[in-house]
Amino acid sequence: MRTNQSDDELMAEVARLVNELDPPPPGLVERTQFAVALDDLDNVELEVARWADTRPLAGVRGGLPGTITFFVGDLTVMVNVTRTGERQRIDGWLVPAGAHGVEVRVADHGSTVTTADEGGRFVLTEVPRGTTQLLVRMNAEQSRTVVTPTVDL
Amino acid sequence: MTELQAASVVKPWAELEGRDRHAACMLAARDGDKEAFDALIADLAPLVWHVARGSGLDRTSAEDVVQTVWLALLRHLHRLTEPRALAGWLITTTRREANRVQHRSTGQVELSPEVAEQTPTADPSPEHEVLRTERDRALWSAFHKLSQRCQELLRLTVLAGRAEYRAVAEALHMPHGSIGPTRGRCLNNLRSLYNGDSGS
Repeated sequence: MRTNQSDDELMAEVARLVNELDPPPPGLVERTQFAVALDDLDNVELEVARWADTRPLAGVRGGLPGTITFFVGDLTVMVNVTRTGERQRIDGWLVPAGAHGVEVRVADHGSTVTTADEGGRFVLTEVPRGTTQLLVRMNAEQSRTVVTPTVDL
Repeated sequence: MTELQAASVVKPWAELEGRDRHAACMLAARDGDKEAFDALIADLAPLVWHVARGSGLDRTSAEDVVQTVWLALLRHLHRLTEPRALAGWLITTTRREANRVQHRSTGQVELSPEVAEQTPTADPSPEHEVLRTERDRALWSAFHKLSQRCQELLRLTVLAGRAEYRAVAEALHMPHGSIGPTRGRCLNNLRSLYNGDSGS
């Protein structure tokens, strides 16, 4: 290595590598803008859920149907995704159980809404594929709304 | 402001830069201007990304954290007392969220960097395609052996070099055009790691 290389020269190389090798993913800005484009947030206590990291290796979640889990505070939501032709079916289970409102937003496709049964289970069919976000309205009240980051389904 | 005035003032933040722009966007977003909030995301999502990656998250987790941080900002829009300090708030919130994610996943078997490097993943990271020379490979590998603090600082220094990221330099207390002692130490560490790597 050219050990006499100046800090500025080395920094320029680091900058080139960071910019070339680890740029933000394509569409990051657009997906984030979609995730925050939520209406009627007045008087809503918004809680951000985290997807549980159940992936064996980084990166396999996107595009691969299966079971994913998200949680926030005392709420855990398991979601199972099954392809049905061009669309998909989403089976979900909320704990603690209750008649929570569930909304699935898909970018450029609007949203699908249902209510969980008393056992906390819900089913959505014919859900379009794409950048997807889930919202849970606890006890079907607007006041406490749980929202997830997007996942590409 | 009356509606007439609002109509005549077209996007007060459009001509601004740095902290002034962030503050103007924040104020507009509080008044319900979604375009202003989108402009903040377009400007500063790359900053959040690099803080998350600099904290050691993989690319998928880093993107989750980016979205989580912006949802948190949406939630705190009316509670943030200092709109001009937005970049600093984003950096702090991203670090905290990245730590939380890492603590959660420590129960899993971690792959060593060597194993991870050879494990094919669906990660869209273009890393393996772009590494052109042996020197690039060695330097990039040395970079990832730096402390998280150094990785983050150097990534943010890269961003701070661009005009639109003046606020990042201010948030990090890095004076313009001067080399902070910490940055110098990190670059020295990078040199040592690089030399150790190529000498073995």
